[in-house]
Amino acid sequence: MPFGLTLPEPWANRGWKAKIRDRERLEPPHVTILYKTSAWRFALRTGTFLDKEPSPTEVPAEVVGAVRANLTLLRQEWDRMYSENRISTERKAKRKGKSNE
Amino acid sequence: MSDPLLLIEPHGHASRLFMRLEAYRLRSESEIRSALKRHGRRALWIAPSSAAVHLLLGTFPRRRTGDQRLLSLERASDNRLGLLHALFRFVVSVDGGVQLLPMDELTEVLSSANRADLFIGAAVVPTDAAVILYRGNLEPLVVPLTWFRERPDGPIPDPHDLAITDFGQTIRLGAYEAAADALLYEFDEDYRRRAKKRQVETDRSLGGALRRLRLQKGLRQGDFPGVTAKEIARIERGEVKKPHQHTLTAIAKRMGVSADDILTY
Repeated sequence: MPFGLTLPEPWANRGWKAKIRDRERLEPPHVTILYKTSAWRFALRTGTFLDKEPSPTEVPAEVVGAVRANLTLLRQEWDRMYSENRISTERKAKRKGKSNE
Repeated sequence: MSDPLLLIEPHGHASRLFMRLEAYRLRSESEIRSALKRHGRRALWIAPSSAAVHLLLGTFPRRRTGDQRLLSLERASDNRLGLLHALFRFVVSVDGGVQLLPMDELTEVLSSANRADLFIGAAVVPTDAAVILYRGNLEPLVVPLTWFRERPDGPIPDPHDLAITDFGQTIRLGAYEAAADALLYEFDEDYRRRAKKRQVETDRSLGGALRRLRLQKGLRQGDFPGVTAKEIARIERGEVKKPHQHTLTAIAKRMGVSADDILTY
């Protein structure tokens, strides 16, 4: 079952979606924002758009805001769905590395 | 640039479904002949009804010319299908269990500049454990059913409930969904090259490419006969920049690609 983030209105009603599907490109971990024939990959590690095209400026600020506000949940969902390429262990390791520096 | 869309609408058979489609509308044999002269090299024809196919076949040359493609939206007899396949380079029709996108989404995809990167239909070939996916430019892409890999605790892909959704961007098998992007990235080298160009930044090293491809194939670092998990990890981390040729060959063989292709991922 794909994970679909609930987006705010009126965007959800207009057809905007944010999904992690059962088969995605696994690296880098991302959520896909979909609207009609366009898609934007949003990186779950960095919280930024992965691609220059289509332009990220085409995504309504409220949709981007909803994705950013739910990054923790999206990361958890990614880790649950793709345990072979988890984000959390890597993030913990990075934090640990920094504290040892 | 996308191929021109030529919509056959015989008098009295105009379809409301395609009202919003930006296409040349051809209503008579003479209009079809003119269109053939103008777009003889390559075009995408749409026949929404049996009457439209009949009008088209009455005018179309009896030998294949240029790169003509046909989307036929009404069922046809086997004989007529055979004829269509003889005359057109690619034919997508609702026959043979092909599941097309809902009409409103189909219209959007056909109108889209990136229609070749979206799917408009799909059919399962159970005897050969394969799925045929049809792109918006009508080119077929054959994918083994095994590509739709089940996740632990995830839904089982159900080939008996196949559909294309999200305006051609998702392939759904029951409750299971696969991204068209992931599929094209793996099976279409041209798409992969374009997708990499679109990326803001990417790790272009051999290690980065190896890691992306390995994960895409669902393999662990220990799944490479003749190469230790430690070696794979060192290559992926960039500690080994130029692995031995026999190591690269063994890695490539396990992933079903050529050694030269690894860097394209």
